[in-house]
Amino acid sequence: MNWFVGVDVGSAYSKGVITKDSELVGWHVISSGANYRASAEVIRKELVRQAGLSEDDLTGTVATGVGADNVYFADRKAGDIVCTARGIKNVFPQARTVIDIGSQSTRAIRLSEEGMVTNFAFTEKCAAGSGRFIEVIANVLRVDLSQFGPLSARSDSPITFSTGCAVFGESEAITRVSEGIRKENIAAGVNRALASKAASLVRRTGLEEPCALCGGGALNDALVRTIEDELGINLLVPPQPQIVTALGAAMIAATPATPAPGTGPK
Amino acid sequence: MTAQDKEKRAINRLESMRPLRAKVNETYLKSVEAIQSGKPAVWGMLNFYYGDPILKAMDIEVVYPENYGAIAAAMGVAQQYLDRADAEGFPTHLCGYSLTTLGYASRMMKELGGEIPPEAPLGGMPKPLFLMSSAAICDARYKWFQALGRYMDAPVWTLEAPTPGVKEFFMEGYYDAMVTLGVKHLRDFVAFVETMVGRKMDWDRLDRITNLMIEVNRVWHEVNELRKVKPCPMHSRDFWSAMPAALFLAGDLEDSLRLYQDMYREVKARVDSGIGAVPEEKYRLVFAELPPWHSLAFFDKLAERGWSFVVESFGYRPPIPIDPDVMAVSDPLERITRFSLQFFAGYYEDARQQKVLGGAFAYPYLKYAREWKCDGAMLHPLISCRSASTHLPYVADMLMEKLKVPSLSIEGDIVDLRLFNTEDALARAEPFEETMDHYRMVRQQEGLDW
Repeated sequence: MNWFVGVDVGSAYSKGVITKDSELVGWHVISSGANYRASAEVIRKELVRQAGLSEDDLTGTVATGVGADNVYFADRKAGDIVCTARGIKNVFPQARTVIDIGSQSTRAIRLSEEGMVTNFAFTEKCAAGSGRFIEVIANVLRVDLSQFGPLSARSDSPITFSTGCAVFGESEAITRVSEGIRKENIAAGVNRALASKAASLVRRTGLEEPCALCGGGALNDALVRTIEDELGINLLVPPQPQIVTALGAAMIAATPATPAPGTGPK
Repeated sequence: MTAQDKEKRAINRLESMRPLRAKVNETYLKSVEAIQSGKPAVWGMLNFYYGDPILKAMDIEVVYPENYGAIAAAMGVAQQYLDRADAEGFPTHLCGYSLTTLGYASRMMKELGGEIPPEAPLGGMPKPLFLMSSAAICDARYKWFQALGRYMDAPVWTLEAPTPGVKEFFMEGYYDAMVTLGVKHLRDFVAFVETMVGRKMDWDRLDRITNLMIEVNRVWHEVNELRKVKPCPMHSRDFWSAMPAALFLAGDLEDSLRLYQDMYREVKARVDSGIGAVPEEKYRLVFAELPPWHSLAFFDKLAERGWSFVVESFGYRPPIPIDPDVMAVSDPLERITRFSLQFFAGYYEDARQQKVLGGAFAYPYLKYAREWKCDGAMLHPLISCRSASTHLPYVADMLMEKLKVPSLSIEGDIVDLRLFNTEDALARAEPFEETMDHYRMVRQQEGLDW
């Protein structure tokens, strides 16, 4: 019996999964906080607990995400785009495009029939296209992140942000609050701005259906609907969208590592 | 392990590159020495061979602010000049090279009374007798040198450099008209330089220098042709290190010719022995446009993954020698003009045959990917350089549409180090390898031979 762990340390949340012979057995999501190493350790302990194992029982661990270097117990690292591709292949083998909305960035990835990455695009050095934008505006609106989607769904007249920048967007949201604009309409405006960015990335890589959506952004139902409207398609959304990349890391842990050029047997 | 050992392990650098690389430093020191000994020095712009041979024939040392901007960035001193340019009121979205050197000029002239700033790398750029601007490629150039000229209280000459489109180039009479225009402008430029230095042109010397320039670039072109071989014997890092002697005519031309001939022999020996610049070449890539000068070690990291950069930025490459009669032209000014026109036109016949008439800046990359058998392109759009960025999406589209070669775009800047994130860029390498693997299969299915 082989037990594999994937740990995805993101800028806002750390996610981990444990698999037994490629079947998902357990998962855990926590805030990354300021100490990524400690977060990774908490995740490992919890995964082992869920599986009823000891740490020595684990066959292999792969780390990914912005804080992957802090997963000191990982056997190796893997890039988050490849991990997302492997994870979505496991959940939706038919998917040919995947959108991943994380706190740090939004990414669009095209996949071959075999689940290989054939094209990808990121939001560059800008929070406006990432989940961080929602976090910033949720803070302005004094709304819990989990309520942002339901709030947005009650909008009757979403505002249009006049800027693509999250910093200016925050100022604009404050101005709109002071003008008496309903929170629902500001939240929906944020979702529209994000959906527009995500759709641009998808168009840049070339949309091929079926298209899946994962990452923390997929927990926001109103955002999912807005992206569907923007692209004119139905999206496949996994039941646990936040753990897809960690799941992909676990899938990679279950495959033999490819030696880097020059390091293989002669 | 020393830094040099590590570098050798990632990329097998050419020994013959080292003396060519040293020529840049020599040029700056010579220009300072020139001023100190009462000789003229000039600030020039990359001019694609129009002006440099004339200045060389007149024994005038030249330094290049755009090159100096890159050096200042790589040596970590650009920020203070950028801040100074900001304080002078120049918008921050202007070309990074221009802002760096405008800040430098402001510090030199307003604070130090014309003395070279003590913190300036490589001995600094001395106050010029005049400035030689060029209209080639980049629209920021006119105003940049005009503004520099005001700080320096020195005259500015702008060299015309016709840049035709592919279609226009083949219009009847167009080529001859360009040659006539080029020769006329160069004649005017010679008269201007003669007035500035108070001496007459030595036409025999210009004749010899022009021939040497053409021969240096021919050999340099042949070196780069050898890079089509698998595994590629020479990495782009060596290209960038070795190019100034051919592109800017840095240093003594006879010496440069000998050094490029040495390089040809070393590269040819590698080809004959099957030695690659990257020990286990897994992926062959083309790079466009200006590299991140401040983070070149980034390419060593990619070399460790088996990435070999086999061809690069067309703006730095020697002209393709398509004009067999150029050496037979008796007037050196016409010879210079016809040689320089090859810089763009070298690609045009091929572009016409491939039926790609748009995008004079973009077409060379199609040729490179096809002939150098590239698996992918790395594009480097620059926040503060429109000229090197706006055509890149078109390059990516054409490479995919015509050749099924994918592109990886990594944003950065020529002087602002903060905008290029090495770790972020490296994180994209792994998925891009999958993409390159995928399109290798697609190309095979479509009958392309690499």
